[in-house]
Amino acid sequence: MYNFLFYFLLEVFGWMFLILSFCVIAIYITLMILSALEMRDYIRKNRFADYGDIITSPIAPGVSILAPAFNEGKSIVQNAQSLLSLHYGKFEVIIINDGSKDDTLEKLIESFELKKTNYAYYPEIETKPVRGIYRSTNMSYRRLMVIDKENGGKADALNAGINVASLDVLACIDVDCILSSDSISRMVRPFMEETNRKVIAVGGVIGIANNCDVQDGTVTHYRVPESTLGKFQVIEYFRAFLMGRMAWSRINGLMLISGAFGFFKTDLVRKVGGYFPKTVGEDMELVVRMRRYMDEEGIPYKLGFVPDPLCWTEVPENEDVLSRQRNRWMRGTIETLQLHRQVRLNRKYGVLGLASYPFWSIFEKSGPVLEITGLVYTMILLITGDFSAIYFFALLALMYLLSLLVSAFSVLYEQVAFNNYKDKKDLRKLIWMIILEPFVVHPKIIWWGLKGHIDFIKGKGGWGGMIRTGFKKAEDKKNLQTTTT
Amino acid sequence: MIKKLLFLCLLFIGLGGFFAKAQDDLIPKDSVDFWKFLIIQKSVPGLGYSLKINKEEDLNKLDSLNGLNYTKTDSGYFSRVFEDFGLVKSQSDQFEKDSIDYAAVFLVFSNPTSLEATQEYVANLIRNGDFQLVFEERDFAEDLVALAQKFPYSPLLKFKLLFISDFKLFIVTLVIVFFFIVSIGMILFMIILKLRKTNRENQLKEFEMLIVDPLTKLLFEKELDEINEMSKTDFYAYFPKEYLSNQMFKEVIIERIISLNKKMKGEFKGKLKLIYQKLDLDKVSLGMLEYAKWHKITEALVQINEMDLMEALPKVEKLVNSDNFHIRSHAVATLLNLSQKVDLMFLKDQTYPLSDWQQMNYLRIIKFVNTIKPIQVEVLFESENPSIRIFGIKLIRILGRVDMIGNLSKMTETATEEELVEILETFDTLGAHMEIHVINNCILSENDQVVFYAAKAGATLGNAHTVDLIANRLVEKSDSFRTRKQLLRTLHVLDALRFDHITLDKVDSTIQDLRAHILDPMLSHV
Repeated sequence: MYNFLFYFLLEVFGWMFLILSFCVIAIYITLMILSALEMRDYIRKNRFADYGDIITSPIAPGVSILAPAFNEGKSIVQNAQSLLSLHYGKFEVIIINDGSKDDTLEKLIESFELKKTNYAYYPEIETKPVRGIYRSTNMSYRRLMVIDKENGGKADALNAGINVASLDVLACIDVDCILSSDSISRMVRPFMEETNRKVIAVGGVIGIANNCDVQDGTVTHYRVPESTLGKFQVIEYFRAFLMGRMAWSRINGLMLISGAFGFFKTDLVRKVGGYFPKTVGEDMELVVRMRRYMDEEGIPYKLGFVPDPLCWTEVPENEDVLSRQRNRWMRGTIETLQLHRQVRLNRKYGVLGLASYPFWSIFEKSGPVLEITGLVYTMILLITGDFSAIYFFALLALMYLLSLLVSAFSVLYEQVAFNNYKDKKDLRKLIWMIILEPFVVHPKIIWWGLKGHIDFIKGKGGWGGMIRTGFKKAEDKKNLQTTTT
Repeated sequence: MIKKLLFLCLLFIGLGGFFAKAQDDLIPKDSVDFWKFLIIQKSVPGLGYSLKINKEEDLNKLDSLNGLNYTKTDSGYFSRVFEDFGLVKSQSDQFEKDSIDYAAVFLVFSNPTSLEATQEYVANLIRNGDFQLVFEERDFAEDLVALAQKFPYSPLLKFKLLFISDFKLFIVTLVIVFFFIVSIGMILFMIILKLRKTNRENQLKEFEMLIVDPLTKLLFEKELDEINEMSKTDFYAYFPKEYLSNQMFKEVIIERIISLNKKMKGEFKGKLKLIYQKLDLDKVSLGMLEYAKWHKITEALVQINEMDLMEALPKVEKLVNSDNFHIRSHAVATLLNLSQKVDLMFLKDQTYPLSDWQQMNYLRIIKFVNTIKPIQVEVLFESENPSIRIFGIKLIRILGRVDMIGNLSKMTETATEEELVEILETFDTLGAHMEIHVINNCILSENDQVVFYAAKAGATLGNAHTVDLIANRLVEKSDSFRTRKQLLRTLHVLDALRFDHITLDKVDSTIQDLRAHILDPMLSHV
């Protein structure tokens, strides 16, 4: 009996891995084709766009830039100055000092001649207590507003910013990001273009600034980072942004807009109750909740994506920091998928329920688990003597070649569309990285992802009750006590 | 989750029980049947048999005594251990013939065992998969060849190729083939694309070198009349004939002329237009309007717009209701720019909603055209399309058309809430004091947005009645925080005493916060 079940399970797993391999290949090839089509259309459309008008047009929407800062004393003044010098007509910069323990606030007060105001702060979205709101006495800094509040995390800080924002579009960014001077006008365009559907959010590409030359808030010379992890992340970001998100954007299936550089409709963010501070994947969770709201209300909508290089950030090149980041991303993904499991395979939610959610569940969330299971399965086959070298090496070679193809194409897209890495040495380094990545970095990424699963099961984050309930409706978040002091 | 796990466990146990029961049924309970069963099996691992003779005199009767190696014990004489039950059976048949008192003993791992225990042992072996059952007695009597002849040959696997018979290998191969075909296709496509792009870029560079000098000479060395008198053949001195028939060369020269046209003014614009026409490039632009690809048509519209190709207007007019956003936008922009009579009728009849992007582009052109010839914006108010009507209201505000305030006032009776918001903003911007009754009516609205903008307009245009309305609303209604802030701000601007009366000595902390906010000079516009 047990013997029979054992071999039955082995057979089931064998077929499962075979089908999974086929799905991976089919899906990634589809994504490559979709992203190529989207990129082609974007480049064509861009030829007819005149961004000069947006800066001065009274019809262009106003943008509230929200930049949370925690212990950023060393660079906060430079970062704020960079944000204030963006080329756009109607915008405000709201820096939220999230209970920094260093001199972040003092530096801002001193450099921008800030004074505490009697601003009537109304917490439409619940946040940790706000200690004060500052504005400058100098007219040159009239666009700047600084919120000083008790520490509550990034999502809580952003919620405080949302409560204060007065313009139509929210630009949620990491304060240490480098933004191109025309970034706002380019990101605002999708909000202005759509006629039949409401554009609820627009995501942008995040470039890697490590080892690059930066002048006047823009990357002037691109160079590939020296470290293996740095180089890997360049390719990974190409794959994620130029391939993955472009493809999902084509079928309106985007489920994630990076928290480091995302634009959202202010009224809708307020309607759904802002960011959910109890998850570590607050950026993804907000996008899913906004989409759910639109689907539940039956309002046609779209999420835009701009592939132009407009924002750059320094990525971690240290294994400890990167492992923590990946662990956090994995937990964020699991939490979001758990919170919104009502969406899973639900026709009411269209592309989100039938395509994006299952994709994220199988390939992003369960990816590490499936890969480890595959490894264990192979070991069992080796032990029992049922191991077939031809299947194993055929599948291994196939997956390796697929990885090469996807990575090479994402680099090629970048070369065809933007051609930022002009030095041939850089290209050679990237190609070597593509070849080595599956053996050198990928196992680590899988391990960190798996640790994310383990930490989630252990309850790291401390909000287990919520995850069991999930949101029955998108608006449920508004009725939830999220900031217990 | 726990329920799911329990369910799986139960399913597993249930299945196990089912299989176990099915296998137990294979063991006959009856001793005679069990013996037959053991004969068919020939041998069972770990199971042996021995014959026991109880009386010594019976032992003496046997001829085969030495062959079976009987050993004396307290309970009788035991034969050697058999592994084939068939042998035990034939021996016991002989004993029965000779009337010998005997017994067959089951030995599990050499230990004497009862019939039931032996049955249980065999059942366990089968259940664990350690023993494969034989169901039919092998009949060695029949000739195998003769048996084979009874049945026509049919292969066990019905595939011509062993390769296809292995499903997994077959599927893996299919996947690999699929992957390679698609990936090779994509790689070839990208290589071709990249090569074509590189070739095109090289050729463009080459053509640009050939174009810049002659174009500069024509522009700076020739007068407008001289260019006008030049025949097509005269241009061959500047641009060789073989190049002028090259499609890409034409594209480059069009691009170059258009980019110069954007930067230049006055007579130079005229010269460029003349060169464009003399080289028959206008025909290229007109021809592109017939293309199927949207980006080619849009490119043609941009060229027509830039080079003022009036003869293309009838064709352009047909494109204002195109399905494609870009074609539609550029067709309208071209018509606005080139039309002699700017009556906006074509815009009024647009069925597609107008996006902010389109509004921004049209506004830029209308603002420019408005300085030359007055535009009849009012036709837009008659449109069935709400986005066109809203654009009309915005135009009045942005163009500063005070003469149209009356039209807006009439509109308020039937206006939607979105239109009302735009009208209120326009009244505010244009300082329409005579429309204060509209603003006051809007302060009584149930729509939060309308009240907010009415209060905002009231700050600059309000009167004593506005003050009363606001004061009553603040007491009677609980508006949104944003609207309450605006109402208090307007009240403060219109009547500071009333503001103090309403806000001072109030227990409501929100009112106190709002008062402090409004009175803070650093927050005058926030």
